[in-house]
Amino acid sequence: MALLRISRFLPQLRKNETICKVLKQSRHLSQARAEPAVLNVPPTRCTTLDSGIRVATEDWGSQTATVGIWIDAGSRCETAQNNGVAHFMEHMAFKGTDKRSQSELEIEIEDMGAQLNAYTSREQTVYYSKCLAKDVPKAVEILADIVQCAKLGKTEIDRERGVILREMQEVESNLQEVIFDHLHSTAYQGTPLANTILGPTANIQAINADDLRCYLSTNYKPNRMVIAGAGGVNHDQLVKLVEELFSGGDPCNKYSGQVPTISPCRFTGSEIRVRDDSIPLAHVALAVEGAGWTDPDTLTLMVASTLLGAWDRSQASAKQNATNLARYSAEYDLCHSYQSFNTCYKDTGLWGIYFVTDCLKIEDMMFNVQSELMRLCTNVTESEVARARSLLAANTLLQLDTSTAVCEDIGRQMLCYGRRITPSELTHRINSITAKNVRDVCYKYIYDRCPAVAGVGPIEQLPDYNEVRGAMYWLRV
Amino acid sequence: MALRILKSAVSNQRLLIPLKPAKYAKATYSEWENRVNVPSKEKVTDMPSMDQPVPDLPTPIYATLKEEHQKTQVTQLENGIRVASENRFGEFATVGVVIDSGSRYEVAYPSGISHFLEKLAFNSTVKYPDKDVMMNELESQGGICDSQGSRDTFIYAASAYTNGLDNVVKLLGEVVLRPQITNEEVDAARQAITFELEMLKMRPEQETLLLDLIHMAAYRENTLGLPKLCPPHNLQKINRDILFNYLNSHHSPQRMVVAGVGVEHNRLVEAVQKYFVDKKPIWETDNEIRSNILSVDKSIAQYTGGIVQEECDIPQFASAGLPVLSHVMLALEGCSHQDGDFIPMCVLNMMMGGGGSFSAGGPGKGMYTRLYTNVLNRYHWMYSATAYNHSYSDTGLFCIHASAPPTHVRELVEVIIREMVSMASSISEQELRRAKTQLQSMLLMNLESRPVVFEDIGRQVLATGHRKRPEYFITEIEKVKKDDIVAVAKRLLNSQPSIAARGDLRKLPALDYMQQAFVDGDGRMPGSHKLSLFR
Repeated sequence: MALLRISRFLPQLRKNETICKVLKQSRHLSQARAEPAVLNVPPTRCTTLDSGIRVATEDWGSQTATVGIWIDAGSRCETAQNNGVAHFMEHMAFKGTDKRSQSELEIEIEDMGAQLNAYTSREQTVYYSKCLAKDVPKAVEILADIVQCAKLGKTEIDRERGVILREMQEVESNLQEVIFDHLHSTAYQGTPLANTILGPTANIQAINADDLRCYLSTNYKPNRMVIAGAGGVNHDQLVKLVEELFSGGDPCNKYSGQVPTISPCRFTGSEIRVRDDSIPLAHVALAVEGAGWTDPDTLTLMVASTLLGAWDRSQASAKQNATNLARYSAEYDLCHSYQSFNTCYKDTGLWGIYFVTDCLKIEDMMFNVQSELMRLCTNVTESEVARARSLLAANTLLQLDTSTAVCEDIGRQMLCYGRRITPSELTHRINSITAKNVRDVCYKYIYDRCPAVAGVGPIEQLPDYNEVRGAMYWLRV
Repeated sequence: MALRILKSAVSNQRLLIPLKPAKYAKATYSEWENRVNVPSKEKVTDMPSMDQPVPDLPTPIYATLKEEHQKTQVTQLENGIRVASENRFGEFATVGVVIDSGSRYEVAYPSGISHFLEKLAFNSTVKYPDKDVMMNELESQGGICDSQGSRDTFIYAASAYTNGLDNVVKLLGEVVLRPQITNEEVDAARQAITFELEMLKMRPEQETLLLDLIHMAAYRENTLGLPKLCPPHNLQKINRDILFNYLNSHHSPQRMVVAGVGVEHNRLVEAVQKYFVDKKPIWETDNEIRSNILSVDKSIAQYTGGIVQEECDIPQFASAGLPVLSHVMLALEGCSHQDGDFIPMCVLNMMMGGGGSFSAGGPGKGMYTRLYTNVLNRYHWMYSATAYNHSYSDTGLFCIHASAPPTHVRELVEVIIREMVSMASSISEQELRRAKTQLQSMLLMNLESRPVVFEDIGRQVLATGHRKRPEYFITEIEKVKKDDIVAVAKRLLNSQPSIAARGDLRKLPALDYMQQAFVDGDGRMPGSHKLSLFR
């Protein structure tokens, strides 16, 4: 029947292009009108102000709320010379403004029973506050103040160097952080994504107020900012507040010229080994280049990640675990723990697995990991994909449990996608992933690709790079 | 140990150009070069880019309802099981079973039963012969599940799409009342516990271990003082029969509440009737299970006070750049959550606050609480100091956990005792106001999360038969005055101290010195105010 209908349209065609259109039309005709999807969540409202700032909210009418500023800038915007400045700036925002000193700021927040927090990632800088719904205007005013009018005094900057160096020590004692920093440094060598967020010690000791101002004036721009709110947040009220508080009256934040474009970051298949036999366990990460935020393949890679899963030794009954790798790990005592990851950036990503194991089990674990990767590329089954799909959908939606999590989701999506994806669209996208799609995507990103490998600890047994590379394909397809 | 860093870049080596299937055979050299380790541009996922909406999707109709302050409905069924629920907007529902069971009831058994049960939860049952089938069914409803044992409450919970309610309750009924607990599963649980104990000792965080120790010191060999973590020598003693004996005696319907958030009460009651009342537990139907009902330990927790210490290295491996620390937890007898002093005690806990000398998070983490202003900001060697308030149905513990390098253990104890003693002296209006606001907002913020609301409903209904709304607590907190705080602080200081410590403890003062410091008006230990070489 459908064929008949297409053939009827065919005479009208001239170009290939239009075939698709007609096909789409005819598909549309044959489809019954879709029922509207009833969602049990309030809508996300978005407004773009004249200054370019975007405001997005999800109003629950609850007694508590989270509001925050999401800025499209992070350590990727830095060079080797000023690496660390984005993170330094995040610290300085809390050290007083023209209007309030550091302790006044702290006491004001504490007395409201609110929380003020910030973090810097490779591509985003976030300042947010969790507070009672009635305090939202005050929280927004404070956020606007610290982001636009930080004082950047010399003594405060000098004091903060010590704090950041201390933070660096903290990061270094967490081997998971260490391994991911090494993984980035090798996978994106020679590009800004290779830099750490904190920056090297030399930079931390050298950064001064001018560097910070220069960073601010190029990056903290209204059209690269999203003000997000969730919980007890009224959209119109927030829009009005933002219009007032981010009016650009402050010259330091006036936008002039083009937003600096981000140069693409090249992925390099390579390895880095930091052998230290005094560390009790070996930490190893293996990654291939994944897809960027907006790529439609991203969700399929997430499903593939879910198929690898995560496991640690204190989980009982892994012998009946759904994912193969967890089952093998438990049965043959291959590792202490492992987790798969899919880290996305604008135009690239790292997809892979991180595991912690005994120094004599590295080779076995690596073999099993890579066999599992090959299996994903070639014969992953429909039923396991179905499970991974529902698990991914549930986990994604279940995370949106608190106002902070929802606000985070809004802010991130507004920056990455320029819109908020509705839960129904997300489930639709995830549910249309088939085993064939997983195989195709894995074949595209994993099969016969040069991986990036990072190892820290007693890693003598970590296979040679050529051997690892050689296990990224099979001599059959 | 020499540190070797080797770095190699290989993607530009032409040797590694992969062999490709035939369809690429005709590619020119330059195409090959471009393709080196760059994923193809081929479109393999038939979806628009993520920043574009999927066309032809049904238009969503959003919820307009605001968070309603509905009452918690409670129904008791014929066998004594209570069902409590609250409706709430959101795609998901959280349903679970809260049971009056935990390590405090294990006196007649080898300690560690609850730890085993925690690991054994959501395994094979009568209806689901293997875990895989069960997980598959739950996952198809978009669900996840969890079990958690504490000293006095055992919780099984699952979250899933609201329309999967019946299935989730069916699954919970199976898991709670009809588990198979095969010998193989017990072995796996034993293994997992062994690994967990190993991991707890390896990690720098000490809270879990110290909590067990402080309860041991405070309630010596009774109720809450029984270990929650399975002691290594009991690992082999616990078997299927003992576990069923325990379940038969303690997991009875009268001791259970099925609580739900985001569900309709009537539907929940119907489902519970089907799977918790009409269908009997495995220990009543399976003749092969030799279990008899032992009477439940109904004794009231006896606070004894005392000291438990464990000499060890923290961290276990010194290489990873972690600081070498000794941990001390000091506790006084607090009050039960049904006590009139409970809310002032919580305000006091908030006022003491504390945290790590170096911790993530900006203002709002309690930067102006006493343990920050009087302790962490003043003594550079103090690594962390945090106040905790644990409340149970018949008693409670008010503790401060602090850590410092082994050389400063004595000073650490002195400083913390002085802080505890001065809780009963002057309190400023501002710090009380701040503590009250922070407690109120913390309460509301925590209740944003569905699992927290679930637990709150379950625990409250289990203890009192109904749930008090957060508004009630907000008003009660507002009523707390300075005198109330001083009164609870005095009440605390009237009890014998309990001390738990781990790490290098050579500098830890003797128990009687610490006891005397607690009764000294200034919190001084004997011998510390004069030059004493031979203490």
